[in-house]
Amino acid sequence: MKALRPEADPVQETIAAIATAPGRGAIAVVRVSGPDTVQVARRLGLTDLSPRTALLRRLEHPEGGQPVDRVLAILFPAPASYTGEDLLEISSHGGTLLPQLVLDAVLAAGARLAEPGEFTRRAYLNGRIDLLQAEATADLIEAASPALAGAALHQLERGLSRRIESLRERMIEVQALLAYDIDFPEEDDGPLDRTRVDEALAALRDDLDTLLALAPEGEMLREGALTVIAGRPNAGKSSLFNSLVGFERAIVTEHPGTTRDAIEAVVGVEGYPFRLVDTAGLREASGAVEEIGIEVARSYLGRADIVLFCVESGRSLEPDEIAFLDEWPSNGRTTILVRTKADLRPAGELGPPADGDRCALQVELSAEQGEGIGKLRTMMLDAAWSGLRARPEAPLVTRRRHIRALESARSSIDEFSAACEASLPPEIAVTHLQDATVRLEELLGSVSTEDLLDRVFSSFCVGK
Amino acid sequence: MAVGPPGPTEDSNLTTRGEVRDRMDYDVIVIGGGHAGSEAANAAARLGARTLLITSFLARIGQMSCNPAIGGVAKGTVAREVDALGGLMGRATDRTTLHFRMLNRSKGPAVWAPRAQCDRGLYPREVRRQLEERASLDLFQATVDALLVEEGRVAGVTASDGSRFRARAVVLTAGTFLRGRIHLGTDRQVDAGRAGDPPSILLAEQLAELGMRAERFKTGTPPRIDGRTVDFDCFHRQDGEAEGHRFSHWEQADGLPSLPCWIGSAGPEVKEIVRDSLGLSALYGGAISSLGPRYCPSIEDKVVKFPDADRHQLFLEPEGLETSELYVNGLSTSLPADVQRRFLRAVPGLGSARMTQPGYAIEYDFFSPQSLSATLAVPELPGLWLAGQINGTTGYEEAAGQGVVAGINAALHVQERDPWVPARDEAFLGVLVDDLITRGVDEPYRLFTSRAEFRLILRQDNCLTRLGPVAERLGLLTDEESRHLDEHLRLVERTREWVDEARVRPEQVNDWLRARGGSPILEPQPLQRLLRRPEVGLEAMLAAGGPLEGVAFDSDACTTVEMETKYAGYIERDRARADSLRRRDQQPLPPDAEYLDFGSLSWEARHKLERVRPENLGQAARIPGISPADLQNLLVEIRKRSRGVVARETPGKPSPSGDA
Repeated sequence: MKALRPEADPVQETIAAIATAPGRGAIAVVRVSGPDTVQVARRLGLTDLSPRTALLRRLEHPEGGQPVDRVLAILFPAPASYTGEDLLEISSHGGTLLPQLVLDAVLAAGARLAEPGEFTRRAYLNGRIDLLQAEATADLIEAASPALAGAALHQLERGLSRRIESLRERMIEVQALLAYDIDFPEEDDGPLDRTRVDEALAALRDDLDTLLALAPEGEMLREGALTVIAGRPNAGKSSLFNSLVGFERAIVTEHPGTTRDAIEAVVGVEGYPFRLVDTAGLREASGAVEEIGIEVARSYLGRADIVLFCVESGRSLEPDEIAFLDEWPSNGRTTILVRTKADLRPAGELGPPADGDRCALQVELSAEQGEGIGKLRTMMLDAAWSGLRARPEAPLVTRRRHIRALESARSSIDEFSAACEASLPPEIAVTHLQDATVRLEELLGSVSTEDLLDRVFSSFCVGK
Repeated sequence: MAVGPPGPTEDSNLTTRGEVRDRMDYDVIVIGGGHAGSEAANAAARLGARTLLITSFLARIGQMSCNPAIGGVAKGTVAREVDALGGLMGRATDRTTLHFRMLNRSKGPAVWAPRAQCDRGLYPREVRRQLEERASLDLFQATVDALLVEEGRVAGVTASDGSRFRARAVVLTAGTFLRGRIHLGTDRQVDAGRAGDPPSILLAEQLAELGMRAERFKTGTPPRIDGRTVDFDCFHRQDGEAEGHRFSHWEQADGLPSLPCWIGSAGPEVKEIVRDSLGLSALYGGAISSLGPRYCPSIEDKVVKFPDADRHQLFLEPEGLETSELYVNGLSTSLPADVQRRFLRAVPGLGSARMTQPGYAIEYDFFSPQSLSATLAVPELPGLWLAGQINGTTGYEEAAGQGVVAGINAALHVQERDPWVPARDEAFLGVLVDDLITRGVDEPYRLFTSRAEFRLILRQDNCLTRLGPVAERLGLLTDEESRHLDEHLRLVERTREWVDEARVRPEQVNDWLRARGGSPILEPQPLQRLLRRPEVGLEAMLAAGGPLEGVAFDSDACTTVEMETKYAGYIERDRARADSLRRRDQQPLPPDAEYLDFGSLSWEARHKLERVRPENLGQAARIPGISPADLQNLLVEIRKRSRGVVARETPGKPSPSGDA
């Protein structure tokens, strides 16, 4: 999906595209949207459409009138349609050929092929959805994990929008207190009660912090938690990889990486995505950390959220392994020491304590027999998604754009407080709160106007 | 007509033989002599237009129909802007001030607000005196019954005495007079434009016939009382400031002896009487349905909307030097006179007070200002400008500001010069006019600093630096005023240079700093750095003597330079924002755009644009409910049309068959 920013808009024409995925299927949907939709429909022989009613009709090619397919056509007149324009949905038979023929007929009737995302973009431009909802639509379509789909649906249903709107409203409420103080210096209520301002801002800070605290996990939802498998040759890395991938039959996609020094799979664990990376099977292009002999996809290591460090069960750590653990674990990522090949260890014989204090998280498993995998999965979930799992209903920010806006609003509040602290007068200090409000409005893609004075008048007795 | 000092142009009604003949042809006719009308006439005359001010009672030119005060937050700045443009309000105020206060002194200079209580009797005389200094301005007492309309253009006026005056521009400032109706309780109604003055009915009817759709607003006044019957011990005395602050940039008037205001409160007893009598109130008994100003609520409003408030503040304001009459600010009402007497006596200190005039509510016609152009002209009736309360505003200052804008532009139009439209970052007048024509009004409009996005720039101290050069360029100033302006600009510049270069030594300022709770300086340092401290005010420091021996002292210049030094970063940021917004203002929209056909815009957006007909993209952006996305679509539509692509026509691909 293309960027949804309302810039460089092409001349508004009537657009059309196949809305369903290509391939064999019982039906396919072609969507048409724009000012000429009804004319396009007429030229296709759909002359008697009535609003929001599904009609079974024969669709004809506009040039020559030969029949194309029997279709189910629904007209959604503006403005109550997805795009806010006249919108026509044509359900034709599926497969590879017919949808294309229907689309060709629609284009011949005067529509032009839509750009990727153009329907949603028009919905935003026509005020049907806000910017957050537009982004959510993209996320929903591209969601590779139930968790992202859930967050996107929540966002589409304005869960996040409502949260941001409420933050913005409260920000305006604080400004109204200050505006009242500035514009009505002689009223009943006397001078401004600073504690009201301070308390409201403290609550706002808390709420912004709560949103921001989950934001890294929200951002991670799109790509999955980067989980890198490391270990000496033959430490059981590829078995672990296969076992984690195979365990979750759900969604395994090969990631067309830019650097082919690793293989990847996105694995869903209880709906949460992990992007699993291993050098296994790529010996020639191996990313071994040569000087210490540990095999790991180096280019990923710095960005890893989780490192699964494989050491065979029942033996002590070698110096190079100790060096790896000592040198590499940092930057907020979690390293889990995976004691592999538990099945090969003589029965009843416990492995040595295995330098337990080098790594707080340890799990012993047998990839062959599946033992310990469940425990590892839980550890991985806890390491990457503890915040989200604890508060699954919380509105979630999933994009850099959101995080930047919220952080900027947050620091503007701090700047306001600092300005007050430095005894700057209210009309100067309040400019920082205006900044914070604008950040939140940009997040929604809306800009507001008179709300401030409305607030002043609804809550104060203004007399002189 | 009195002959005052000559204005910018010489003019004469004398014929060759020296006999006086009444002139019936003018460049500009102003209907109405209130704050809008008198300023409009003054501005037009200052530009050299042969101007006639026609009003029902010459004695009531510049009348203060509501409270006897000028200024206040944002309003004080407007009064000074009007003055900087050669207006009447600042000088009239200074000469009749009984009580001056700079409001908001505890905040920063950006929101300082001069306000003066004036002598209600003397103020109008000062307005008229100044009008009579303008040689090209005539005054005539008559009620205008009709506009002279020829071929769709306004060409003059017809007065009730039958006389006709012709002009190329007419400024209508009818205030609350168009179908004005006064309410005193539910059963007593009088057709009046103000207590004691008849309304304008015929003109209102003609305007309706011309297709102008009037709406109704209401406003109100409180009762007035005899000061000799007040127990002042029950009130808190508030004295004016002794310092020589003033409104006018052009003269240092002596003012009048100072009189105090008195602060008291209406408590539970008053509220109970009002509550029990709500059925008799014109407002709440059903006689008035139109909207009044929220920020000037009647005592009925306060009782209904804030039932939990214990008491409401009220101010006794002096009406004049030679009368004991007091204006009871805070008790505006539309209750019957006997109820007013009763609740007045329930106010502590007014137990035996005698009411001299009852308060009343007044309903009047106004016209939605959204249909006006940025010069306050009526596009559908060329030759007509509207200013003041007729545009849905309230307040003397708002009226005066519009009068100046309309008067200037009416004269410029006659002289076939480019119009002058103040920008939002240039003057509160710009905010006022743009708000009116862009947002319209759904209640009587009053200015606040919060309405201005650039209030750090639009201050009361820099009105002359902002607008003086504009006034000079337009030709509004007398030679003497121009000289004075140059001097002032030089003074500001000198003060700025001095602050940039001066260094202060510890012994010069430390005593003064300590007295204000500031920490002393240990070694000589640039004055600039000291000024950045919040507790250090330049004017106060200079007044205390010390470092500024020999530097000319000007309060405005000090405040301007102090602001620009202390809050330099904030002001620069505002200026940068203003500049970037101005670029949008410079993108004009075609005057004949068919907004209803702009298919890519939402239905609401199309209708809003059609109603406002913005002159540029910036104005379109400020229409409430127009989103950034709408703006984007608007640009696309405009571009599409300027490329000559006809809307709703699909390019290429004719359909030979099956096309119904």
